[in-house]
Amino acid sequence: MISSIEFRAMNTSVMLAAEGDGAILGMYATKLFIDDCEQRFSRFLPASEVTELNRYAGNWLQVSDELMELLQLSMEYHKSTKGIFDPSILSDLKQAGYDRSMDEIRAHGVHNLPEVSNRLSRPSFDEISFDIDNRRVRLPRGLEIDLGGIAKGWIVEKAAQLLHKYVEACGVSAGGDILFIGRPQDGMDWDVSLEDPRTPTELLTQLHVPAGAIATSSIMKRTWSQGEKVRHHLIDPRTGEPAKTDWLSVTVISPSVIEADVFAKAILITGEKDFSGLPGAKELTFIAVDSNGNLSGSANYKDYIYEFASESI
Amino acid sequence: MKFLKIGIRFWITITSVLSFLTGWIMLAHAPKPTQSSSGLTTVVTPLPTLEPLNQLSTFGSDDDNFQNQPLFNVQPNTRAQFRPAFRTGGS
Repeated sequence: MISSIEFRAMNTSVMLAAEGDGAILGMYATKLFIDDCEQRFSRFLPASEVTELNRYAGNWLQVSDELMELLQLSMEYHKSTKGIFDPSILSDLKQAGYDRSMDEIRAHGVHNLPEVSNRLSRPSFDEISFDIDNRRVRLPRGLEIDLGGIAKGWIVEKAAQLLHKYVEACGVSAGGDILFIGRPQDGMDWDVSLEDPRTPTELLTQLHVPAGAIATSSIMKRTWSQGEKVRHHLIDPRTGEPAKTDWLSVTVISPSVIEADVFAKAILITGEKDFSGLPGAKELTFIAVDSNGNLSGSANYKDYIYEFASESI
Repeated sequence: MKFLKIGIRFWITITSVLSFLTGWIMLAHAPKPTQSSSGLTTVVTPLPTLEPLNQLSTFGSDDDNFQNQPLFNVQPNTRAQFRPAFRTGGS
């Protein structure tokens, strides 16, 4: 019997599922862990570690092991995606109106029209300095970071590993970034419904995943109006503007949910024409959805779609 | 002095007798207590019937089902199901 709980954290819906005697205890321990991570990594919380790091840009700051790991992972993916994954686009994000949590923007709208961009004059993400031995980090003065593009995947990965200590098989999902460890006792794969990005309440198809991760990035979920422009939260670091892409959403299936999370964004931002320029992207399994609801993607993506579902595509 | 003592005793006796008679007369002429009205009815509220408590042994048993029961009655709700409905679509 698989047990599950759902709750809201990180401005999104979180779901935990576990099969085994320790399921209930494990899920509550995992929930506490996720709540703690949100306090640590959210840029919207004034007391979070990330907010503190941004506030002290230009100075060395001692950080937790968790933040150090996350920053170093961010640097690796920044390099492996040739800068498409870039946590230093926070100024552009704020300029586009995303300066508060999405829940607040939905309730009250955006604050002001954008000011002049500092994109060309500000330092880049790879100018961050690390002092590993003393666990210290220094952001260059004038740089702000937002780890929203990777923190959710990292939290899901750690949360699933924690939950797996209590049970044989489990799944953790945060806003559609999902990691499955182990397989249910009935031997079947885990089921995942792929949402239609045009109407998220409706489903496009049904996927099955034996174990591992699946993550989706969409330009349709976090949208708002800024003057006459419709904005979304996926900033293309090459332009500093919300990405103009021919796909509405990209779903990546990978052993690592962090990799799936990062590459879903990178492939979506680069789009159909340029994604092949991302190192390693051709080896990934991904599904892209265009504005007509058509599916495309890597050569093997249909292996993960249930046969009964693929008949209707 | 002897006459004074006799006078005081006489005075105490007389005032005691007079006080007793005055009280007797006053009580005799006082209005009688009101009888209870026959129009009033007495309402008896029944005691609530409580559900019997679970046996303490339930919590200490080796029953496997106990592992799947929620520990707390607060959100988030825990539910058991065959397949959890995972969805992916971005956030």
